Amino acid sequence: MAGDITLLDLRLRRRVTIGYGLGIAAYALIVVVLFPSFKNDTSLNQITANGSPVAALLGAVGSLTSPAGWLGANLYANFVPLIELLATIGYGASCIAGQDEDRTLALVATLPITRQTITIDKFTALLTQALVVPIATALCVLAGRGFDLTLATGPLLGVTAGVTLLGLFFGTMALLIGAATGNRGLALGITSAAAAISYLISSLAPVIHWLHPARCISPFFYAVGDNQLTHGLPLAWAGVLAAGALIFAITTVIAFNRLDVH
Amino acid sequence: MSLASVKRPHGREHGGGSKPAVGPVIVTEGLTRRFGRRRGITDVTVAVDRGEVFGFLGPNGAGKSTTIRLLLGLYRPTAGRAAVFGLDPRCHSVQMHRRVGYLPGELTLFPRLTGRQILDRFARIRGHVDHRYRDELVDRFGIELDRPIHTLSKGNVQKIGLLLAFAHRPELLILDEPTSGLDPLLQDEFGRLVTETAREGRTVFLSSHDLDEVQRLVDRLAIIKDGRIVITDTVEHLRASAPKTVEFCFAQPVDPAQFQTLDGVQVLSTDTTRVRLSVTGPIGPLLHAAVALDPVDMTSRPAELEELFLGYYRTDSAKTHSHGR
Repeated sequence: MAGDITLLDLRLRRRVTIGYGLGIAAYALIVVVLFPSFKNDTSLNQITANGSPVAALLGAVGSLTSPAGWLGANLYANFVPLIELLATIGYGASCIAGQDEDRTLALVATLPITRQTITIDKFTALLTQALVVPIATALCVLAGRGFDLTLATGPLLGVTAGVTLLGLFFGTMALLIGAATGNRGLALGITSAAAAISYLISSLAPVIHWLHPARCISPFFYAVGDNQLTHGLPLAWAGVLAAGALIFAITTVIAFNRLDVH
Repeated sequence: MSLASVKRPHGREHGGGSKPAVGPVIVTEGLTRRFGRRRGITDVTVAVDRGEVFGFLGPNGAGKSTTIRLLLGLYRPTAGRAAVFGLDPRCHSVQMHRRVGYLPGELTLFPRLTGRQILDRFARIRGHVDHRYRDELVDRFGIELDRPIHTLSKGNVQKIGLLLAFAHRPELLILDEPTSGLDPLLQDEFGRLVTETAREGRTVFLSSHDLDEVQRLVDRLAIIKDGRIVITDTVEHLRASAPKTVEFCFAQPVDPAQFQTLDGVQVLSTDTTRVRLSVTGPIGPLLHAAVALDPVDMTSRPAELEELFLGYYRTDSAKTHSHGR
C-alpha cells in the first residue's frame, strides 16, 4: 500500500528525528532569549565590520544586532543547516544503502511493490524529516517576538523553505549515491564533503573576491547565503534547489532498479 | 517448460493460493551471475514443479543464496534466465512477490520494532487481512510477538522470519536455511509445516546445508558446488544409487587391481586378505569376480545418503551430470 514504507521508515527514525527537533528547538530558544541582552551592544558589529573572513566562515556577516543579523550568525547560516543536514544526509545514506548493509532491505524489496514505489516512499519520508528542524526553528523564532526579536513573516517562511530544500537537496544526493553503490559510508562521506565545500564557498564568497562567482555552484547560497533573512527566498533559488533534489530523486529510481539487494 | 514461453501478464495477478499454476513453478536456464573471477553461479538450470519440496544443497559459499536472490529478482543475472510462475522476476516482481513467501538466509529484522509491528506492516502492504493462519502458526511455534526484536534470541527471531514467509499462505515458499537457530522440537514442527504446505499443492524451495533435514523433507534436490549444479535428482533415486560398502575376506592374498576394472567399483582399502570396496549399481559382476578368488567372508553395508552428499561436496573434479530432469 502506498505510503507504508514511508510510515515504516519514519517509525524507524522516530527517536533520532524527535531528538534533532528538540535539540535545535532548545538551542534556537536560547538564541532568541539572549537577543535582548545583545541588541544594544554595538561593539558586536565590529566583529563583522571589516569583512573578516573568520567571521564569515562562522556565518557572521553584516550587523549582528539586527534580528536578521543575529539569527543569521547564530542559527540560519550555520547550526540550523548543519543539524538539518545531519538529519537528511543521515537518512538518505541509510534508507537504501544502510538498510541493504543491515540486510533488512531484502524483506522490503520482496514485498509486492515496485522499487519505484519504495523510492517514492523513501523520498516522502526524507521530505517529512527535512521539515522537522526548519519548522521547529521557525516556531522558536516566532516566539522571539516576545523578546524584541521580530523577523518579518516572508523572510522567515523563505529561510524555512530554503533550509528544507537544502536538506532535501543533500538528502537526495546521499540517497542517490547509496542506491548507486549500496555503500552507506560512501554515501555519507561524499555527500558530507560536498556539503562542507558548498558551505565554505557560500560563507566565504561575500568576503573573498575571487571566490565570489563560485557562489552560484553552492546550494547553501540558494538556501541561506543570499540575504534570505532580509529579502526572503527568491522563487528561482527555490527552483534551483527543488530541481536538483528532483533530478537526484529520479536518478535514484534508476540506480535502485539496478542495485543488487542482499 | 521453455523460457521462451515466459508469460507477459496483462492486468492484475491473482493473490496467493487462488490461481492454479500450470507447468513448473520455477524454471532457470543457464542462469549465471558473476562477481569477479571466482565467485557467483554459472549455468544453473533447474525446474521445480508445483506442490514439490525441492532441496537446494551446497556447502557455504557454493551459490545457494545467490541463486535464490536471482529467483526473487534481487540480483540481475549476468547470463541465462529465470522464471517464477512463468514471470520474469525482474520485470514482473510485483505479480511474482504477491505469490511468494521468502525467508532470507541471514535474517535481520528491524531491531526496535516488535514482531507484531513488522508483521502488521507487511500484511498491510500485501493487502492481507485474514490473520487466522498467522495466529495458528504463532501458537504452534510459540512465537513471541510483542517484544522488540533486539531483545529476542536468534531462534525467536528466526520464528518470526518463518511467520513472515508463511503467514499469507503463498503459493511458493523460498526458504534460505530455514531452521537455522531453531531447537530440535521446532525443527520437527517446521518439518510438519513444510509437509502440510506441499500437501496443499503449494511449493517449497528450501536451501540448506543440513543434510538430515533435506533427507527428511524434500522430494527432489539439486547440489550446487562452486557455483555449478553438480547433480539434480530425487532423494529416492539418490538413495538407490548411493554407493554400498562391501568388504571381502579371502583365504589367500589377492590382487585388488582386478576389482578396479569392474564398472562402478572402487577399492577403498586393502590388506593382504581383506578388500574394502565402494560399489555403485548392480553387485552381480562383483560377486562373480569375488567367487573366483575363494572368499571366506563378506559384509555389505548400505551407504548413508549423507556419504553421497559429502562425496559431491568434497570432489574437486566436477561430476556434472543430471539424473531425472
